[in-house]
Amino acid sequence: MTHGTLIWKNLTRYRLRFFLTTFAIFIAFFLFGILQSFDKALDAGAELAADDRLVVSNRINFTQPLPIAYVDRIRSMDGVLHATHQSWIGSYYQEPRNFIFGFAVDPESFMTVYQDDIVLPAEQIAAFIKNRRGVLVGADTAGTYGWALGDLVPISSNIWQQADGSKVWDVVIEGIFQSSRDELPANGLYMHYDYLNEARTFGKDFTGTVALTTTDPTLNDQVAQAIDFRFQNSAYATETRTEAAFNRSFVDQLGNIGLIISSVVGAALFTILIIVGNTMALSIRERTSEIGVMKALGFRASTVFSMVLGEAFGLAFFGGLIGTITAWGLVEIARNIPGFPFVLGFPTSVWLQAFGLMVVLGVLTGLFPAWNAYRLKLSTAFARV
Amino acid sequence: MMKQILSVSWISLRSLPQRLWLSLATILTIAVVVAVLLAFLAMSNGFRKTLEGTGSDDVALILRGGASTELNSVLSREDQAVLETAAGIAKNNGEPMISGELYVVVNGTKKTSGTKVNLPLRGLSEQGIAMRGPVTISQGRLFVPGRNELVVGRALLGEFDGFDLNSTVRFGATDWDIVGVFETGGTVFESELWSDLAGVQNQFNRGSSVQSVRAKLTSPDAIEDLKDFAENDPRLGVDVISEKDYFKEQSQSTSDLILVLGWPLAIAMGLGALAGALNTIYTSVAARARDIATLRAIGFSSLSAFFGTLSESLALSVLGGLLGAAVAWSFFDGLSTSTLGGGFTQVVFSFQLGGALLVQGAILALGIGLVGGFFPAIRAARLPVAMAFSDR
Amino acid sequence: MPDTPLIMLENVSKAYRKAKSEISIFDQLNLSIKEGDFVAIMGPSGSGKTTLLNLLGGVDRPTSGTITINGERIDKMSESALSRWRAHTVGFIFQFYNLMPMLTAARNVELPLLLTKLSRKQRRENVMTALKVVGLEDRAKHSPREMSGGQQQRVAIARAIVSDPKLLLCDEPTGDLDRETAGEILSTLQMLNRDFGKTILMVTHDPEAAKYAKSILHLDKGHFVEELVTS
Repeated sequence: MTHGTLIWKNLTRYRLRFFLTTFAIFIAFFLFGILQSFDKALDAGAELAADDRLVVSNRINFTQPLPIAYVDRIRSMDGVLHATHQSWIGSYYQEPRNFIFGFAVDPESFMTVYQDDIVLPAEQIAAFIKNRRGVLVGADTAGTYGWALGDLVPISSNIWQQADGSKVWDVVIEGIFQSSRDELPANGLYMHYDYLNEARTFGKDFTGTVALTTTDPTLNDQVAQAIDFRFQNSAYATETRTEAAFNRSFVDQLGNIGLIISSVVGAALFTILIIVGNTMALSIRERTSEIGVMKALGFRASTVFSMVLGEAFGLAFFGGLIGTITAWGLVEIARNIPGFPFVLGFPTSVWLQAFGLMVVLGVLTGLFPAWNAYRLKLSTAFARV
Repeated sequence: MMKQILSVSWISLRSLPQRLWLSLATILTIAVVVAVLLAFLAMSNGFRKTLEGTGSDDVALILRGGASTELNSVLSREDQAVLETAAGIAKNNGEPMISGELYVVVNGTKKTSGTKVNLPLRGLSEQGIAMRGPVTISQGRLFVPGRNELVVGRALLGEFDGFDLNSTVRFGATDWDIVGVFETGGTVFESELWSDLAGVQNQFNRGSSVQSVRAKLTSPDAIEDLKDFAENDPRLGVDVISEKDYFKEQSQSTSDLILVLGWPLAIAMGLGALAGALNTIYTSVAARARDIATLRAIGFSSLSAFFGTLSESLALSVLGGLLGAAVAWSFFDGLSTSTLGGGFTQVVFSFQLGGALLVQGAILALGIGLVGGFFPAIRAARLPVAMAFSDR
Repeated sequence: MPDTPLIMLENVSKAYRKAKSEISIFDQLNLSIKEGDFVAIMGPSGSGKTTLLNLLGGVDRPTSGTITINGERIDKMSESALSRWRAHTVGFIFQFYNLMPMLTAARNVELPLLLTKLSRKQRRENVMTALKVVGLEDRAKHSPREMSGGQQQRVAIARAIVSDPKLLLCDEPTGDLDRETAGEILSTLQMLNRDFGKTILMVTHDPEAAKYAKSILHLDKGHFVEELVTS
């Protein structure tokens, strides 16, 4: 037998109480893990973005267009290495609910700027560039709709229309790409800008955003300012940001999700703090005479103190670990579901935060009872017998 | 029997103060859980009410086929001309009452978070304003067409920076003056900026195209005539929907999402609170074991021991539920916020608590109380009467 | 050192402050007990029996005066020094046994050994020896609620002697037991005194129990009257 055995025996003496308290802690840490993971998922677009890429959008709002001529003018500026552009096509397959993240791009420059992000064989890239009706699709997207290389697929747009009134664009699957990072799903569709631009009835010769890389990432701020300065007095003033900041702006639209999540997690943790704190205080109160006996046997007050604190820590870590591990397991299962809409992950930071919270919970719920046990006078303890 | 139950309940409730901290903790945890649930319900409810309160059923909204939102839609001058001849549209002095409108997205800054968000700038005519029920200009004046002037919705002004009255805002190469603040009775339109159609068409290079057309109907049923007309005219590829249904549809997914997040969260937290409640009531039964056994020895039934214990748990959950509702009421009711709406722009809404929501909160609290009391109550009912005679 | 007493109380006073008045339990009490003695302390309730025991066990402190046990002044010891001292010098036996309900008999007995540096194997041996002394070696794996009152008190005795203290302090050790079982427990105490040389102080209100001691001290209003047992 060790001090640890003694702590464990004390914890588990009332099985039901131990189970219920552990369960309450389990719930709180489970919620914490899931919600943190969810919060991180919302940030994933920003956090996983290449930090050396800049995105140029219309200063009024990113939904406003930029003239296609800007691409060449940006490309020729000092410090710009490669530039390409993308237009949102609002694409879907057959039914509007089969929504696809689709963009019209300039194939060659697109493959140069994004070569590190999407992975596919060189001959597929070549085929895509060569065929004006060719598209690249993500492996996950292709899997969802059962598409294979060479398939002729009708893609609808909820924005663009052809001269004959048709919203359907016939495209050929020339490449199926994987994502270079496991955390990111391989989804989306990229078609030729020229194919879209020539046939569409309005918005001709405009594009959505311009993405660029610089010759040296340290020049980024300078290049961004130079671009915005150059166009500031035109009808299409620009706003140049890092890709991360650009992606972040989408999540910001949803509202203060971070605040909501931290409020819920805070409420859950506050609840178990009360539950566990009271349970600990109660069980120490019930054991007043036992603690007296321990002291009479010669256990030092500091030993008794750390044993009670150890009990609180034991509870916090036992429930906390099960809860966090369960959350982690669920996230692992969810992220392996093909087509799961969120880029879920369980980064080390969530583990560290969870451990931190377990320590805080242990201290807050154990300190007061431990202190009571510490200063418990033996004579009082026996008087209560 | 009833008398027995009441007296045992009374005894167990009277002993509550002896477990003051434990009982308070249970009340507090139930209160927190109920408050969290009510916050989500009030958020969902407030969003839905704001959107469902917008639009009237005698106004038809016409969008390009398949566009589904104003942002994605484009209608040409020709489309508008054809629509002017359509059936079912009310007339004023012989002119059809229709309003072609542009809907462009501009940047604003959310006051509470300082983040840049999408706000709608709508270009419309006086005809269009008249179709939005009673619109009042609460400060300043209405825009004058052709002068690049804007009026700002009351809700937008309250929630976002950058559009103060009498200030100037720059879109592209053009400066716009904010000349007035308008109110539409708390509808989604108050989250918009308005200017004259021609000015917006001009400054945003839209030529003579619009994004949506609103038409005043002769009656709500006349929308069928308009739909028939649109379907049978080969020149038109448009969708016709009543304005009311348009906003109703938009409310659904977001308010459902909030509900879908809120209830499981509340249930999970409720299970945690339930564990706490069970702990408390089991402790209470243990503490009162001798009293209960003594009562049973005197001749009280085990059923009265059962209900006596259950009443303690229910009392705690009722108090917790009331506290939670009070907290939610004072902190969340009427709280104004915004999120992304169906138009890909911010919709300002406020948390709204109501009777039906409070009932759901009460169900959660009482559920915790019932389950939290049931099992300990069984234990109380089964306590051996002999305990009354044992020593310690 | 048979001449120096094991326990020596000199001018010990003890008063409790209750509300605004002070209640004096002892005033200038003197007492000395030789090593190897078995003393029963009797007296009406409220006479200070338990307080005396608490003072001797270092559980409570005197208001004034000195307490010397085994050559050490315990009235001025720090709390942690007292803890260590108790672990080596004193074994406690309580009226209600005070066993840890969630531990087996063997583990209850092992408890004081957690305070020593003994190896696990040595601890096990000592525990079994102590249980053998009280005649419970076959009940090592039983939990307290699986044992009778008498058995529980024997486990408590085993716990008191497992670290081999010189002094055993017993507070109404048979108060909760029937006459026959009480006799067995008292015989065990007698045996510990006789065969193992333990000095025993036993508080009791039962004259039958007191007869097992070598001498009886009557405590009345804070003063002693000694009585020798003739047996």
